[in-house]
Amino acid sequence: MHRYKFVLYRPIQLLPVLFGISVVTFVLVRLIPGDPARVLLGARATPTAIANIRRQYGLDEPMWLQYFYFVKNLLSGEMGKSILYKIDVLKLIITRIEPTLVLVLASVTLSVLIAVPMAALAARNHGRFADHAVRIISTAGIGFPPFWLGLMLIILFSVTLGMFPVSGYGETLGEKIAHLVLPSVTIALSLSTVLTRSLRAAMVEGLRSDVATAARARGMPERVVFWRHVVPNSMVPTINLLAINIGWLIGGTVVIESVFAIPGIGQLLVRAIFSRDYMVVQGVAMMLACATVLINLIADIVTVAADPRVKL
Amino acid sequence: MSASVLRVSDLAVGLHLPGREPRMLLDNVSLDLGKGEVLGLVGESGSGKSLFCRALVRLLPSENIRITEGRIMLGDRDLAKATEAEMLGVRGGRVGMIFQNPTSHLDPVMTIGDQLIEGIRYHQKLDGGAARREALAIARQVGFTEPERQLDSYAHEFSGGMRQRAMIGVALSCNPEILVADEPTTALDVTIQAQILQLLLDIRSERGLSIILITHDLGIVAQTCDRIAVMREGRIVEQGKKRDLLRSPAHSYTKALIGSHPSMPISAGEMTATPPSKAAATDKPLLEVEEVNVRFAGAGNLFGGRSGAVHAVADVSLKIMPGETVGIVGESGSGKSTLARAVLGLTPIASGNVTFDGTSLRHDRVAFLTRLRREAAMVFQDPYNALNPRLAIGQMLAEVLKVQARTPPDQIPTRVCELLDLVDLGHEFAGRRPRSMSGGQCQRAGIARALAVEPRLIIADESTAALDVTIQAQILDLFRVLKRKMNLTLLFIAHDLAIVRNLCDRVVVMRGGHIVEQGGSAQVFEHPADPYTQALIRAIPDIDPDKPLLPQAAREIA
Repeated sequence: MHRYKFVLYRPIQLLPVLFGISVVTFVLVRLIPGDPARVLLGARATPTAIANIRRQYGLDEPMWLQYFYFVKNLLSGEMGKSILYKIDVLKLIITRIEPTLVLVLASVTLSVLIAVPMAALAARNHGRFADHAVRIISTAGIGFPPFWLGLMLIILFSVTLGMFPVSGYGETLGEKIAHLVLPSVTIALSLSTVLTRSLRAAMVEGLRSDVATAARARGMPERVVFWRHVVPNSMVPTINLLAINIGWLIGGTVVIESVFAIPGIGQLLVRAIFSRDYMVVQGVAMMLACATVLINLIADIVTVAADPRVKL
Repeated sequence: MSASVLRVSDLAVGLHLPGREPRMLLDNVSLDLGKGEVLGLVGESGSGKSLFCRALVRLLPSENIRITEGRIMLGDRDLAKATEAEMLGVRGGRVGMIFQNPTSHLDPVMTIGDQLIEGIRYHQKLDGGAARREALAIARQVGFTEPERQLDSYAHEFSGGMRQRAMIGVALSCNPEILVADEPTTALDVTIQAQILQLLLDIRSERGLSIILITHDLGIVAQTCDRIAVMREGRIVEQGKKRDLLRSPAHSYTKALIGSHPSMPISAGEMTATPPSKAAATDKPLLEVEEVNVRFAGAGNLFGGRSGAVHAVADVSLKIMPGETVGIVGESGSGKSTLARAVLGLTPIASGNVTFDGTSLRHDRVAFLTRLRREAAMVFQDPYNALNPRLAIGQMLAEVLKVQARTPPDQIPTRVCELLDLVDLGHEFAGRRPRSMSGGQCQRAGIARALAVEPRLIIADESTAALDVTIQAQILDLFRVLKRKMNLTLLFIAHDLAIVRNLCDRVVVMRGGHIVEQGGSAQVFEHPADPYTQALIRAIPDIDPDKPLLPQAAREIA
């Protein structure tokens, strides 16, 4: 099991990443013009009221001291209090994380389910009609921005056909699923194009490889050659591509959640930035950094499991 | 020999490109394989011998390459006309194949056991425990020492020889009657080669297999085969019983092949042409290696400490006189290439010293490297990859001459022509790129580049290993001529002992980073003192079938 030893020490690498992220987000949110107290109280607030709010949230302290408190709170497991929602940032994130998490999981699963058959179809018909069709579709798919694709899907399936709700998120499980179908499909369509192209290239190469020749020379039917020998060997390079894209996707949910008005992390972040809710922006950024590192760790574990030659 | 198991008659395979005349790749090939027979199919790269084998099981590399004529009778079935479904049973199940490169032909993400079981399930219709037991039996048969554990290993965890054993096992798992082995030992060291060849002969007798052994090395054929067929440009130029064919070859090409085999003694004329250099005792050595050690740190990580360092070169001392040709031989991992890299300053040495014509690496590293790089040159193993594909040969040579700055710019074109003349390349090669040249021509260009710096020392690292035998012989001849003409000092690194024997005045035998023996070529080869050298020499497949290969010797040192 020594090949999996990196799982133990990888979290140590997280520490410098988190430190960097904390400094950058702390400074960046304070560089945005505007004052959280003024945003909260409105344009006609009295200077005394503003000063009170600033004192209440420690915004009147010098910058370095604010950073010191921020880190001190983090170390004791707290992210401070939201100025806008008046509750603890961690609690706030927890209430908003469900739709985002489900959305990301659903769209990743869906995109793999689209990409693998598409790539297999193209690779096994290399140079023929199906291959060209898949390549044209996936190249065109990269060209469509997700927010536009999302709007088109809403117009078609929600407005015209009335099959799915236009936007928002439900209370019951059935409602939640219904609300997440279109956004998941939107993300999956974009993500699967990238995966399809990478998988197709790996599979085409795999079908020409010596491993495939040797399997054919043992009398294996083409189906077995493909699914048992070519596919497992083609997965390895795509795993990392997928991980990078999931990292990107988490940031990308900001756009999709806005298009579909889903009350998730992305929307929380957008609103926090507009209202200069420093604590929330910092908290969400830290969480996203952790998630990205975690996803790459999972990708590494999957890679090690999929390819016995890999040592990390 | 009893009845034939495979009868190929008038087989023709052509390349059919749309809108063009078909080009014949195999023409009128007729060949019989007797039951239990080992047939050697000999030819150089491009002769069509691999294509022939793939045509047997109709696994042609492209849809445009098709069998146009002829019959391939396996029993009473014509494989040239069989349906694709019938071919699935024939491939593997009746005709098994093993390939030159086990590393790329074994599935890297599947255990060896699973690859064995796959064939057993498909062709022998066994399942579960029975399949596993059969896989264990095969693993034992191909010489796995701990089959239980090794079945659960992956190909990359094996050595080259073990990988080839695994691939033979995977072919056997389908239980074929005929085994087609395409250059199965070309990538292996001599001692491992001897073991693999012996293994093929053993399974032939145990299982009553018939074997087609494709090789470019007549020595292997002489040692293992019953009958030989010689192929050239898609045709069988000659075939016959091994002894008859080797003793009295009829075709001029066969004669040339036999003549260029490195185990053939070189003619007396050539011997006098390359007299052993009579370096006077007072001469200073051009290159002196004193107790050099090279160590590589083992792979370490954050928590696991450094696991044992590898001692790649240990206390090696060596003197090379001006004008001398010294061969370093050893198997892979013996440290011979590391030593060459250390001498050129490409790998740091842990201790010891290298002196090049009086300049010491220890005392003045910068001066040493400057002198060495001006006065020494290297010729590499892979002629294609060592040349810049985007430069024509003339440009490449001109570039070296410009950097060297010894030749006035207006004389560079003349000098380029001189260099091409030296390596027997026509002047038109100045305008050609490596891609449009053969391996031998590329290697000549590589040698011309080495000569461009007017070196006093040339280090050739496995410079003929990637070439066909007749081309190999030509390149060796070229080295001989150059040595005589230019009084070159040559350090020739090779795993092929026969080549070193013919070219070098002195031989250094390395094993595990140590020099086990050194001395005059004749003396070391005629009377090897060290048991390892003796075993190495005995493992060379000799072209004389009466000098049998001694796999026992090979086993002793493995």
